[in-house]
Amino acid sequence: MESQLIEWQHFGNYMSQHGQYVVRAMLILVLGLIGAGLIRRFLNRMLEKPVFKHATLSTVINVFYVLLIFIVVAIALQYAGFRGLVIYRTLALITLGVVGIFVIARPYLPTLPFKVGNTVEAGGLLGKVEATTFLNTRLRTFDGKTIYVPNRRILDDIVVNYHFTPTRRVYLGVGIRYDQDLIKAKRVVETLMIGDPRVLATPRPIVYVTELAAGSVDLSGRCWVKNLEYWKTRCDLIEKIKLRFDQEGIVIAYPQLDVHHYGETCQAIQLMESYQTITTSDMEA
Amino acid sequence: MKTKKAMEIIDKGWLKKPKGFRVHFQKIVDSEPVTDYVPDMEDKPLASDVVAWRLAWKLSESTQSEDPAIKDGDMVNIYVVDDDGEPVIFYGTGRAERYRPYSKVSS
Repeated sequence: MESQLIEWQHFGNYMSQHGQYVVRAMLILVLGLIGAGLIRRFLNRMLEKPVFKHATLSTVINVFYVLLIFIVVAIALQYAGFRGLVIYRTLALITLGVVGIFVIARPYLPTLPFKVGNTVEAGGLLGKVEATTFLNTRLRTFDGKTIYVPNRRILDDIVVNYHFTPTRRVYLGVGIRYDQDLIKAKRVVETLMIGDPRVLATPRPIVYVTELAAGSVDLSGRCWVKNLEYWKTRCDLIEKIKLRFDQEGIVIAYPQLDVHHYGETCQAIQLMESYQTITTSDMEA
Repeated sequence: MKTKKAMEIIDKGWLKKPKGFRVHFQKIVDSEPVTDYVPDMEDKPLASDVVAWRLAWKLSESTQSEDPAIKDGDMVNIYVVDDDGEPVIFYGTGRAERYRPYSKVSS
């Protein structure tokens, strides 16, 4: 009890002598950290467009942020009464260590198979990667939901990264009725694909007859587009195929079952006719 | 003839692949039609004619009024053009289409 009182007395004496320096140092530390955070955020926004690679940007900003904190802490300690040279040496060693870990160890750390901004299918979800941390990945789905997927789940699952290749193949499947003009239908689909500005010239668009199915002749149009234009191009081409087929008089097949009835001596008809005859004669009688 | 050469001939001579689309319209200013485009000529054109035709239709719908007379500020002759300024066939009908057609009658 007494020792505690003595400790408090020591602390009181220290604060009465150096309190103003400690408070000033704390103030500098707090304001400095807030300022460093603001500068980091400002740089992030400013360099987002000129620096395309997000990984490079985050490394540069993180290194700069660590240096800023180093300066802030050094100034605060100096104001608290510590000797400048000792502080600078100690902090320089710590900073170099942190920066070294950032730069050297980065390629050896297990990384996720996508970057921020990529559209991916991971953990059973399709969306745009908004952020990644050591624990989870923030995905924004196309219907506007923000979902935090644990990295553990992503690393254990199959990941489809739609940004890995710059182009993507569009598949257009359409079935026409057996009595329709197949060559005309093929030409219409190919012409529509070639005429679209977003469809790449090479590999060339092509139409295959893929199936002589139960109720339709199945055509498959294939063309290549830039990854980002995939969805809109596909939807536009489907719309155009339907409308152009209507204009050209090509009938698209739909699931149906045709029942053909041949001959006049069908037993069922004979039975029906005889039944009708009996009923009429009964009524007349 | 090599296949490559034949492909070059096909690419040049068969279908024209437009680089993009714009909506052409004329705005009546002091009883005179003034031609303009969406997007502007200095901006990137639209990549899809489907989008361009939808934009043209929306423009015509939003400038419709119950009064059939064309007055200042009205948008007329709305249709889609390609990068050369040539009118584009409306994919929905297979024919040339023009929303709010207007031709100035010289007095």
